[in-house]
Amino acid sequence: MFASVTSAALVGVRPRPVRVEAHAGEIATDRLTFNIVGLPDASIREARQRVQSAIIATGHRFPSRRITVNLAPADLPKAGSAYDLPIALGVLAAFGVMPMASTEVIALGELALDGSVRAVRGGLAAGIVAGRRGLPCIVGSDGLAEAALSGADVRGVTSLAHAIAVCTGRDPGELPSGDAVAVDPPLQVDLAAIRGQATARRAIEVAAAGGHHLLLAGPPGAGKTMLARAMPGILPDLTPSEALEVAQAHAAGGRPPVVGKRPPFRSPHHSATPAAILGGGSGVPVPGELTLADRGVLFLDELAEFPTHLLDTLRQPIEEGWVHIARKGISVDFPCRIQLVAATNPCPCGYLGDLRVPCRCSPHSVDRYRTRLSGPLLDRFDLRVTVPRVGAAQLLGLGGEPSAVVRSRVATARGLQHHRGTLNRSLGREALDGLPWASNVGRLLATAMDRLGLTARGWDRVRRTARTIADLQGAAVASGDHVEEALALRGAL
Amino acid sequence: MSREHRLELAFLGLHPARTASLVERHGSAGAVVRLARRGRLEGVDPGRVRGAADCRGALERAGCRAVFDGEPGYPAVLGDLGDPPDVLFVRGVLPETPGVAVVGTRRCTGYGRRLAAACGRAIAAAGWPLVSGLARGIDGAAHRGTIEACGVGVVVLGSGSDVVYPAEHRDLHDALLATGGGVITEYPPGTRPNGWRFPPRNRIISGLSAAVVVVEAAVTGGALVTAMRAGEQGRVLFAVPGDVDREASVGCNLLIRDGAIPVLGADDLVEGLSLVLGPPLRTIRQEVVADAPDGVDRAVLAAARQPVAPDDLAAALGLPVPTVLAAVARLELGGRLSADEGLLLARDRPPPSSVSPAGGVPGR
Repeated sequence: MFASVTSAALVGVRPRPVRVEAHAGEIATDRLTFNIVGLPDASIREARQRVQSAIIATGHRFPSRRITVNLAPADLPKAGSAYDLPIALGVLAAFGVMPMASTEVIALGELALDGSVRAVRGGLAAGIVAGRRGLPCIVGSDGLAEAALSGADVRGVTSLAHAIAVCTGRDPGELPSGDAVAVDPPLQVDLAAIRGQATARRAIEVAAAGGHHLLLAGPPGAGKTMLARAMPGILPDLTPSEALEVAQAHAAGGRPPVVGKRPPFRSPHHSATPAAILGGGSGVPVPGELTLADRGVLFLDELAEFPTHLLDTLRQPIEEGWVHIARKGISVDFPCRIQLVAATNPCPCGYLGDLRVPCRCSPHSVDRYRTRLSGPLLDRFDLRVTVPRVGAAQLLGLGGEPSAVVRSRVATARGLQHHRGTLNRSLGREALDGLPWASNVGRLLATAMDRLGLTARGWDRVRRTARTIADLQGAAVASGDHVEEALALRGAL
Repeated sequence: MSREHRLELAFLGLHPARTASLVERHGSAGAVVRLARRGRLEGVDPGRVRGAADCRGALERAGCRAVFDGEPGYPAVLGDLGDPPDVLFVRGVLPETPGVAVVGTRRCTGYGRRLAAACGRAIAAAGWPLVSGLARGIDGAAHRGTIEACGVGVVVLGSGSDVVYPAEHRDLHDALLATGGGVITEYPPGTRPNGWRFPPRNRIISGLSAAVVVVEAAVTGGALVTAMRAGEQGRVLFAVPGDVDREASVGCNLLIRDGAIPVLGADDLVEGLSLVLGPPLRTIRQEVVADAPDGVDRAVLAAARQPVAPDDLAAALGLPVPTVLAAVARLELGGRLSADEGLLLARDRPPPSSVSPAGGVPGR
């Protein structure tokens, strides 16, 4: 007899339905033959032993027949123990233990030998597939909260017997509790806690308003990391669909997904591997830090310590908003619409340009340190500011504006950009040319090219930043003052 | 001694002290070259001893000329050295009048770099040739100051004139030649910048100068040795004072204690130098900016007489950060303010008519 149950797999961060088809031969054979086809990996082949034991432990017979399970689409590589539960349900239906109609569910879960169900990752994806199909979704009860983020009809089960009861309508299964939807993690750093640093505060506000990538340079202990951590707090709230995308990316990375309004903040260490940052890994690719920071902030502390080749590979994904990963048999696109914030010391010892502590680096080592940063990556930062060490007077003084106040200004500025159709970060040369500029801007920029060595690309960077500064002020035409401030904010390094 | 033999001897590229003692022992340059050809000089490959015509060809390819001691064009001031180089290889201009040497450590601080550039500008503006070594740090900063003020910069290399070391100062080297300066060395073209070639080179730097300005020098290091030898040669020593606990200033402070003249600023240096070199050859050119800066710009300039971070500037003036940043960019574009490593500094003293004296910071 033939039966099928649907499950789900993640391709990149997109959930895709996987049909689990089971066929049991009509005639009893001498020996049990149990095959799983459809590009299963080793852990799925092991499902045969788990499924057989669980079915027997649940009190059903496991007759010696020729049993074939196919995971469709057959060309999509599949991995993990999540298909145990749908395989068991399909096999039981093929044996005639359960009625065919009862397998109209989306199921996901790993089986123990005693028949109990363990939650696996991918619950959110299964929930999303279930929601699209209008079917109930059955997952291990530990994974109920994650699957419930999808908003679909999800049921938690504790054992295979429980799952059969839910499928046949004898038991409703565990329903998600009302507060299962996660709340926002507390803000990383509120701007109100940051003393002094007036220029850097202005820079992160402008960066947030236009989505510009930001480079902070300064001595150790100046507060670069704290400023970067304040960035998500002044970005506008995520919309519900954006929040679900963020949760999916986290779920795909095997992390507990959180649906909240705050944009994510990721700060990988400079010793992280390229796969950990870009995504990848053997077999089915998992998203890296770039994707976990999708729609949020990727913070690279000690930028110069990151391997140059890694920084070079970051350029294209940051520009395009996608990381493309190709592996044998599968290629996926992970989203990475990130805002990059990076911090660096001005020199290896960190004190170059400090008024109080002398720099102990040789000029040669400073040059070498700078060359690692220079080049095309540096060009991606519209804003580069110096973060000086804060003096005692400022530490004793009051903190600045709280994040919420800045966030409202940022949201207004982003609203204006939304009307124009694109974030200022993504404005190309032609789009910039088409915007209204005050009459003295051209002369100003020409002088800057002449005297400050501004490059053609720098010309565009300054105009993008100037447009954002004008947006923050609500000005329709970007004036000379806006361009001058943008010039000053493009400064360090 | 024939010029051919002297040229051939110089092309051996030996340590200048060894060359001098060989000539003294064997009587003439020709005798030494003959010994070298016969393989009788330790460390000299007889096959690589070049003939005079070959030497002249190499000079032509390197774009330089040879100037012999005792002939017209050889700087008379070098006669003060006990061991003047017999031949100088010169590209560009070899000034006949004594210049001012600016020396200091390669491992300088931002303070040193700033002061070196200011001294370089002041010396150049007064019309005196500035002599230095093209090294990283103080040397490079001083020469950049020379170029900014359109002065004459003289470089004394520790390598052949076709070997620019450090390589990142190639642009500086070319700019100095293009603006009427000179590049001088006693080593033949193709000579690598070995460490032992620099101390003899330093005697030429001080030799070409009537005064030596030490901007930053640690207790250990070539700069202080150069300064002390310059003192022995009868050169007037100037030193820029610095923090007593800063390594890079200890050498300068020691020199001042032992009688060097402290440099209290660029103008003070010019005043002091004019006692040694006579009045400035050019009148000091104050760059007058056509449009006088308005309120905010003026306040920013006045507050940036000392290096200052934009944050502190905004706090001191009580102005919003965007306003201050816009003013900073405007002044930077006008060439009145420089931003280096995040610190702002007003350039040159503004004309007296446009800015009130220090302390009188006008309002907005």
